Amino acid sequence: MIRATGVRKSFGEVHALDGVDLDVARGRVLGLLGHNGAGKTTLVNILTTVSRPTAGTVSVAGYDVLSQGAEVRSRIGVTGQYASVDEHLTGFGNLVLIGRLLGAGRREAAARATALIEQFDLTGAAHQPSRTYSGGMRRRLDLAASLVGRPDVLFLDEPTTGLDPSTRIALWETVEALVSDGTTVLLTTQYLDEADRLADWITVLAKGRVVASGTSERLKADLGHRAVEVVLGREGDLSTAEASLVAAGFRTHVDAERRTLTARVDTSAAVADVVRALDAVGAEADRLTVKEPSLDDVYLALTQSPAAQRDAA
Amino acid sequence: MAIQEQRLEHPAETAGPPTGVGWRGAGAMTQLGILTARQIQSMYGDRRLALFSLVQPIIMLLLLSEVFGTMADPSDFPHGVRYIDYVVPALLVTTGIGSAQGAGVGLVRDMDNGMVARFRVLPTRLPLVLAARSLADLVRVTTELAVLLVVACVMLDFRPAGGVLGTAAALLLTLVVIWALIWGFIAFAAWLRSVELMSSIAVLVMFPLMFASSAFVPLNVLPEWLRMVARLNPITYAVDGSRKLALGWDPGWSVPGALATSAVLLVVAVCVAVRTFRRPPNE
Repeated sequence: MIRATGVRKSFGEVHALDGVDLDVARGRVLGLLGHNGAGKTTLVNILTTVSRPTAGTVSVAGYDVLSQGAEVRSRIGVTGQYASVDEHLTGFGNLVLIGRLLGAGRREAAARATALIEQFDLTGAAHQPSRTYSGGMRRRLDLAASLVGRPDVLFLDEPTTGLDPSTRIALWETVEALVSDGTTVLLTTQYLDEADRLADWITVLAKGRVVASGTSERLKADLGHRAVEVVLGREGDLSTAEASLVAAGFRTHVDAERRTLTARVDTSAAVADVVRALDAVGAEADRLTVKEPSLDDVYLALTQSPAAQRDAA
Repeated sequence: MAIQEQRLEHPAETAGPPTGVGWRGAGAMTQLGILTARQIQSMYGDRRLALFSLVQPIIMLLLLSEVFGTMADPSDFPHGVRYIDYVVPALLVTTGIGSAQGAGVGLVRDMDNGMVARFRVLPTRLPLVLAARSLADLVRVTTELAVLLVVACVMLDFRPAGGVLGTAAALLLTLVVIWALIWGFIAFAAWLRSVELMSSIAVLVMFPLMFASSAFVPLNVLPEWLRMVARLNPITYAVDGSRKLALGWDPGWSVPGALATSAVLLVVAVCVAVRTFRRPPNE
């Protein structure tokens, strides 16, 4: 449903996107991860026909974004970081407006608006001007607005930035329901848990380039690692404990403020080796936890890799 | 990095039934109607704002007629013409200029609050968004000017020699000129995209247009250099045309002059506005 090949976008000397390839099948969720300035929004702008790529080809829902923009736009929904609603219109009025612009008749547009108002739990406020809505309500209205045309492809550009946890989870559930109905989703986010939960496939963008791409499990297996985190009872033990672990062949990290030592472990057996190494120098552990690989590891490993840093310079 | 080589092993893309409802965008005229109605609705969404926008020209009318009316030396004025009859047709134009700049601010606001961003990803033709803006603002200006005329008639005994027909012709000419000006401000807004810059530009453009013209005093009382500026000012033609039509005089070249300058402004402004508006944000 989304196919991009060799997409570049330059603003003068700055290369916001430097040859990006994407391929997302129907009903899949692609998570696009990256820091601010990695090129996520630039890419979404190109995929949604708002901006023109400097080079490369892009098709969305089977149509070329450059030559068939209107076809693309009638098949996509876009929700950005900020709620795009008309403050002076009611929630219902906003949704009817979008339906009518899409070509629905008065009655059809009203029926669709009513259904969405109900689905997004806005019934009580449907006929209030949207400027009286809370932040969470506005975002729900915004998402509802992007769904009026039952889009084939939904673009969610950092959809939960600035949302409270319960609204965030509710939005995730809505997205999951849409995906189970066959909607294709491209999600950009800085939150790894969000990508982990929603995305079938994750692409990490850094400095306008794809630096990794794979399922969440695959990325974690390849780039993440399991670690043992030890909180020591006495601060004085930190250096001796670390020396002992290094001597035993572990890669370690010390957080003096939290009296915490982290050692990378590749096998379950290695956990016992950590305990033994600590015992050998008489370091007492207050708490010992095994951390499973997370996308955070992947993300940090990639975005702080020498390649990414070289590009940043 | 090995992982970079992987590709998603997804099933062959099936044609499948389209999940969309099959709405592929309304026709151009329907869209223009919907967008214009939305603008008008939105404009009057805040009743207090709507009320103030009506009160403002009335206050200008009262102040100008009372303050300048007492000062203007009747010997400088055309014989037998009262100041109120002289100034109201001009006030139509100057009030219109003041209201026209609201179109620019409104468009910038729509860009800031994300409505324009929303229109960009709908099958909406972007020039129609601008056209709707201009039409909605024309409706707003028409309402304000109509109220102004009613107040002038009822409270200040505005009775120009041209009568109802002459006054209606003056109003119509004013609206044509103002529509071109609205597009001018829309072009500025599409280019500058900032409320602060729009406000500065509005002051920069509006006051010279208003005061270096025959709007408030006859040209012959102005100093020589200002008279030259006023002769080149399209507002002078608009004011002259509006005034002569209302007073029932022969409008002469003022009406074609006003229409020609407006047409030039309109064409330039529409081209600039449509072209610059296509440019996406942050580019």
